[in-house]
Amino acid sequence: MIISLTVNGEVRDVAVEPHYLLSDVLRDRLDLTATHVGCEQGICGACTVLVDGQPARACLLFAVQMEGHAVTTLEGGAPSVELRALRAAFHTHHAQQCGFCTPGILMTFAAYLRDHPDCDEAGVRAVLGGNLCRCTGYGPIVRAIMAASAALREVADV
Amino acid sequence: MSEREAYVGQPRPRREDHRLLAGLARYVDDIKVTGALHAAFLRSPHGHARIVSIDVTAALELPGVVTVVTGEDLAEDVTDLTVAPPIEGLRPTSMPVMPVDRVRFQGDLVACVVAADRYVAEEAMERIVVEYAELPAVSDMFAALRDDSVLVDEALGTNLVARRVHRAGDPEARLAAAPRVIEAEFHQQRQTHAPIETRGCIAQWDPGREHLTLVIGSQVPHPLRTQIVRRLGLRDSQVSVSSPDVGGSFGQKIALYREELAICALARRLGRPVRWKEDRMENLLAACHAREQWCRTRAAVDDTGRILGLTLEMVEDFGAYCFYPANYISEVVGIILTAQYGIADYGYEIRVALTNKCGVGPMRAPMAMASWVMEGTLDVIARRLGLDPAEVRRRNMLADQALPYAMPGGETLLDVNCAETMETALDEIGYAAHRPHDDGRYLYGLGLCNVVESTTYGSRFYKNSGIGGSGHEAARIIVEPDGTVSASVGMAAAGQGYETTFAQVVADGVGVRPDDVAVTLGHSDTSPYGMGSRGGRGATAGGGALYLCAAEVRAHLLRLAAHRLGLNATDGLGLRDGRIVWVRAGGSEETGLDVADLARTAYFDPLALPEGMRPGLEFYRTYDPPPMTFSNSTHACRVRIARETGRLEILDYLVVENCGTVINPLVVHGQQAGAVAMGLSGTLLENVVYDQAGRNLSATFADYTIATVADIPAIRIIARATPSSRTPLGLKGMAEGGVMGAIGAVANAVNDALSVVGAQVTCLPLTPMRLHAAIHDGIGRAAQGQEG
Repeated sequence: MIISLTVNGEVRDVAVEPHYLLSDVLRDRLDLTATHVGCEQGICGACTVLVDGQPARACLLFAVQMEGHAVTTLEGGAPSVELRALRAAFHTHHAQQCGFCTPGILMTFAAYLRDHPDCDEAGVRAVLGGNLCRCTGYGPIVRAIMAASAALREVADV
Repeated sequence: MSEREAYVGQPRPRREDHRLLAGLARYVDDIKVTGALHAAFLRSPHGHARIVSIDVTAALELPGVVTVVTGEDLAEDVTDLTVAPPIEGLRPTSMPVMPVDRVRFQGDLVACVVAADRYVAEEAMERIVVEYAELPAVSDMFAALRDDSVLVDEALGTNLVARRVHRAGDPEARLAAAPRVIEAEFHQQRQTHAPIETRGCIAQWDPGREHLTLVIGSQVPHPLRTQIVRRLGLRDSQVSVSSPDVGGSFGQKIALYREELAICALARRLGRPVRWKEDRMENLLAACHAREQWCRTRAAVDDTGRILGLTLEMVEDFGAYCFYPANYISEVVGIILTAQYGIADYGYEIRVALTNKCGVGPMRAPMAMASWVMEGTLDVIARRLGLDPAEVRRRNMLADQALPYAMPGGETLLDVNCAETMETALDEIGYAAHRPHDDGRYLYGLGLCNVVESTTYGSRFYKNSGIGGSGHEAARIIVEPDGTVSASVGMAAAGQGYETTFAQVVADGVGVRPDDVAVTLGHSDTSPYGMGSRGGRGATAGGGALYLCAAEVRAHLLRLAAHRLGLNATDGLGLRDGRIVWVRAGGSEETGLDVADLARTAYFDPLALPEGMRPGLEFYRTYDPPPMTFSNSTHACRVRIARETGRLEILDYLVVENCGTVINPLVVHGQQAGAVAMGLSGTLLENVVYDQAGRNLSATFADYTIATVADIPAIRIIARATPSSRTPLGLKGMAEGGVMGAIGAVANAVNDALSVVGAQVTCLPLTPMRLHAAIHDGIGRAAQGQEG
């Protein structure tokens, strides 16, 4: 069957079977490989994308469910201000080692910082609990997100 | 050598980050190969069974299925893996690429489907009909070592695959004569690496050139190629191994596993590209496990807590198949156990058992248990004698003047500052004011763990220990015609930041800017044959080889520059950020020449070269590190345990660390904190559980829990570094000691807290259930009663 969905701002028509996962369709049919698959069970969070602006596990969605919806991946067109701030802070704070879990964390917090401009560390930690990282021990990730949040507030204040 | 280190030591953010953060990284599964077929493996649902029959007819009928193969089918294409190094006490083992008539653990391979896509391959897999005759399984290593046990490998006639004994001095005589003998037990649970990127590979056979290309996330591209070549009956020149970005490895991506070899064989047989991506359940069930070890120490002590003699008994569960010599992991625990303590009379006995469980391999700090066992033994001694644990450590610790020290395990300890790291840690954690106590809601404890981390193993170590293999590393540096410095080494990264840190090393070695150094890694054709990434050898072996090679580049460039400047000698000339300068007191003066000028001469105007100098600028240099380099550290933490729930909280965690010269503090800090986090995760949460029939009960991330952000406390890292006296740049290595220290520090803190209620725990992980039982059910108390 053919479904029509918006991916990174472009309307795409894709031939899928009903049991195809969104993560597989993004990666294998649309060549958007920034979305990583770590567990296919919704636990590790590496495959997190935005569906209509909200974080969602691409491995827990069937592609057919996306008919008429907008999906944003890390590749996503023009990056949001939140994503740009997160990328800069992740680089400065050495918040990724192997980088495999990183796209899911960036997408999660691009949405979170947008919706919580005054977030505190407890809030960040609570949300980050949904992503597994096997390399960093999480400390640099928390510091980077807090730094990105502060940088965004600075820009907003100007 | 360089007249100054300009870039080594700088906390430079990593050049790898851009592609990772932009979503432009390329892990195996991101790489498109036109026409590639997809494989899926059918695995045994039983812990131990005979394969009576396999019917693949229905699977082959499904549209899109290309082939289905069994162990019998592949046996003609691939030779068996025989692990039989000449090590006393080690029994040789052998295994085919896929089992032919018997499966030995749940998740063992039964058949492989190759189809147009993975969905079809998995559907076909479900159509394969296998008749099994289930056999009794043994999933407990102590049961496996009993005479009446089921045999995991009938060819061996026993499950005792390795037994190793080592003696220095006469520990038994010391134990017999000692005023006191204190016994302590330690049991570490089975764990697995769980990189967030699972295994996977793409194999392509070029029938015209008769050449195999394997794209695979690997720590060791060249040794892996050697394995493939041997198993497939090819020559080295017929195989290329390419490791792209790797989503974590932690020791899991070293061995050539059976799945990957089967994919290579199938690509050759079919003449078409074949790819495989492991799913998470396969990874947890059947990739590689680690760490399941039990230890008992017996210490002869005097009344002051001085250890007069020590023995270690160790049993390890190696699972169903040996991808490594079965003694190799435990042996290092035996070798380094005594660490910085002066114990002349020491012995160990190691027994390694086969069981009906997934095979075992090294996991970040395979020797991790050593620190917990040694430091836990010291704590038991202190408690039994009513002494202060730090004081017992001081009384047994080698004085700085005693270094270098011939350890009773056979290696030589030097360049460590164990007393300094411990005393600093005691100050920082507030040791003097601490007493274990109970405020009615919580039990409070403090734990110490001194760590001597064996980081880099040279060839002499392998030879001495009988483990086999080389410890050398190889570097190649090419100054390109435009002056770019291209550097490579046999290492393959999985997040360590080599592209950044090695560029810093090469920049200093040659005398150029890091931005002018390109670091390319992970391809067996373009990197020199090296031993790859394992242990803590990246900096010392890889960085050391590159630095020595870079020094040769620098000397060569200066000779060429001197000639261009009309000089007979290079005296007074230097290389700074790619420019040839006159080195003057208090500064330098430009000569007007730079590396690009010299490169143009070397490549395009060879007649302008000095007499005897050949055109081109390619350099190759190998480096074999000392037998064993050591880093050291002290971990200290304060914990509290909730009486009602058994919940453990880490209130303060710190590491005082000496890892030698630091190339990049940002990267080193990341590695150290990451290692501590992995150690904490293993100590508190992770557990591979099998039932008695050999069924794995922990093959999802919901059951095999690894630490989330909520489980990892803030980790304070305090540097007290001293350089190595025997390696280029004074490098020592790190990135595993954090695991070693975390286990010991937390377990010791917990037992300090539990001492308030007279309890003790000897088994990991330290889950709330286990701690609750220790506090309320007196489970730990019985164990403590057995000491001494």
